[in-house]
Amino acid sequence: MQKVQTNTQLAPKKKRKSISYDKYGYLFVAPFFIVFAIFQLYPILFTFRTSVTDAAGWSKILDNEIIGFANFAKLFAFGTEVSNFFWQSIGNTVIMWTFNFVPQIGMALLLASWFTDTRMRLKFQGGFKVLIFMPNIITAATIGMLFFSLFSYPISPVNTLLQNAGLINEPIEWFRSTAISRGMISFIQWWMWYGNTMIIMIAGILGINPALFEAALVDGCSSRQTFWKITLPLIKPILLYNLVTSLVGGLTMFDIPHLMTQGNPNYTTNTVARFIYTQGFETPNNFNMASAASVVLFIIIVICSLILSAIMKDRDAKPAKGGAKK
Amino acid sequence: MKKIVSLVLAVMMLCGMMSFAGAEETITLNVWSFTNELQGMIEKYYAPSHPNVKINYVIYPTDGGEYTSKVDAIMAAAAASDEAPDIFTLEAAFVKKYVNSDVTANLADLGFTEEELAPAIPVMKQIGTSNINGQLKGLSWQATPGALMYRASLAEKYLGVTTPEEMQAKVADWDLFMETAQELYDASEGATKMVVGAGDIWNAYQYSRTQGWVVDGKLVIDPVLYDYLDLTKVLEEDDLSNKGGAWTETWFNGMKTDSTLCFLLPTWGLHYTLKPNCGQGTNDTMDDATLKATCEANGGTYGDWRMVAGPVGYSWGGTWIGANAAKVAAATDAEKAAMKEFISFFTLSEEFLYAYAKDSGDFVGNNDVVNKILAEGGTPNPFLGGQDHYSIFAEAANLANGAIMTDYDEKINSLWSDYVTTPYSKGEKDLDTCIADFKAQVAAQFPELVIE
Repeated sequence: MQKVQTNTQLAPKKKRKSISYDKYGYLFVAPFFIVFAIFQLYPILFTFRTSVTDAAGWSKILDNEIIGFANFAKLFAFGTEVSNFFWQSIGNTVIMWTFNFVPQIGMALLLASWFTDTRMRLKFQGGFKVLIFMPNIITAATIGMLFFSLFSYPISPVNTLLQNAGLINEPIEWFRSTAISRGMISFIQWWMWYGNTMIIMIAGILGINPALFEAALVDGCSSRQTFWKITLPLIKPILLYNLVTSLVGGLTMFDIPHLMTQGNPNYTTNTVARFIYTQGFETPNNFNMASAASVVLFIIIVICSLILSAIMKDRDAKPAKGGAKK
Repeated sequence: MKKIVSLVLAVMMLCGMMSFAGAEETITLNVWSFTNELQGMIEKYYAPSHPNVKINYVIYPTDGGEYTSKVDAIMAAAAASDEAPDIFTLEAAFVKKYVNSDVTANLADLGFTEEELAPAIPVMKQIGTSNINGQLKGLSWQATPGALMYRASLAEKYLGVTTPEEMQAKVADWDLFMETAQELYDASEGATKMVVGAGDIWNAYQYSRTQGWVVDGKLVIDPVLYDYLDLTKVLEEDDLSNKGGAWTETWFNGMKTDSTLCFLLPTWGLHYTLKPNCGQGTNDTMDDATLKATCEANGGTYGDWRMVAGPVGYSWGGTWIGANAAKVAAATDAEKAAMKEFISFFTLSEEFLYAYAKDSGDFVGNNDVVNKILAEGGTPNPFLGGQDHYSIFAEAANLANGAIMTDYDEKINSLWSDYVTTPYSKGEKDLDTCIADFKAQVAAQFPELVIE
């Protein structure tokens, strides 16, 4: 009896030597993967499946047949209505994204280089950063409604202001102009996101070894030369990260156009995400077409991201840190 | 002694069993809705008289399509399950979608007879009827007929109109309506416009059609819609309207100031839209006296409104009650009777509808009750300068033709407005381009429709 007891006491001692805590790591990451699997992975796979079925309408969402690539064929049957509107939506999205992104990167780079410039020594940096980042905190829905009320027709704060100032005689119908509607959407996206991009750029610039800047200073580089020859090449991975996240965010743009213009005037502000929404979630719920359009959008984003990382890759040296991953 | 005790016990046991059997007959009804409106009515009127029915009330908001998504999902997956609704309410925006589908039960299957249904106001019955097989599937406790509200003082000043009858003669059809709009513009030198915007009259004008948007799977543009387009173009180009859309700042401003003569609004629009916006600083949480005082202190329009039927009888909005077809098919006789009683209580019971109309002032969907209230002298409304709104709404309700409504209406109406009415009336595009754009949009959204 006693012998057995000693044996059992000894046994754990032996095990303890080889005990591994690794498995606890899985427990700690499990909540993320469980939530991810249920709310992201499963819907993504479900979308892929739905895109090759005849699931039009709620009655067919679970009970449908696989019909191959007919839905994709409709999107690529140029000249038909669905195809026209789909590609027009993509064109609208790209236009509005470009007019938001180019100024956004430019402004963010400029501000980031000012904030990090040791020679300029800007005052109240914290205050400026907060102010610039602020629009990003407000929800897009609020901003969409705000701009809609500011620019509505015929009575609105902006029209009244301009009329009282004597700049216009008749109220302007802002949202009936394609250029103004698109411009306003691009502006809101730019205004909301340049602060965010700037913060990331600052982090990137601060990550550069200060010895390089000091060496440049000693060698007599001008601020401009330092920026173009040292800063910019060294934050390429951060630029790439920004480009790719902004591309994904921009191509899936939905809230501002949906709340502010609903695709008007004449479908010129209708984004791909809104195309998917109207197909899938307005009568008669063409889930199959919405899913197929989502898959095409996904493929477009993957291809664009690959092209971007190929262009941005540092060809001479080792692969850029972190850049190629995203 | 023992015998007596055992006898008493036995009797008590029997009684106990009987009462237990009685309690077992309690029937549970799942009721789904999108607001707590019906819940309040259940608690106040229905529950006291129906102790054997337990109502399990579930609310999903209509925002972002949540309600319809929940209904669609459960009807597709488990229509006959315990979680699924027995009874569910349907809003004007999607009532046609459900009465045209198999998920709502034919009310005849619940035992409703023609005789019982006769007093229900026709337009609400027509909208609650399937376009596909003509079965009546939804009934409403209220009717939401629309009328034309106008400012008495402005009408007298510019048009010389002193009574509602004279006003009705000036807006009896759309041609007269436009002539009056021009007359008003000339007399007021543009200070007061007929309506706020061209889109404002759509809800009424669509009832001038004789065919709905879709007939036999084909898109139909009723010829009268081209007249509508001409009318909106004139309103816009000749400056006969304030050029604002519904629900905009311009629209609400028109209710407070002398900028607008007419609003085309239904029952709920009179009480919940026009009245709370009749002056600066008024809102819908005020009681009648406060609202009146606030409005008068700020130069508002309280008491200056009058009502006429307008150019066409129409209906705007409403809530229908329908039954889940799968649950009806599987129900016992007792359950069916409870479902029928529930629908019948709220939509046909004179006792309830009369009490509800008296308490809330709502316009109820039953002609017998409406006539009873009219016979008692109607409902003089101080907001309308003492005019009785029940008689005008009753007139409008029985003129409206709900048979032209289809389940495509909500989406097609918005496409029509975005791609035809707005660009055409503002002179951005010519008619053919507008119609072609509109047809392309409809084709992309509804691949099953035939479009010529």
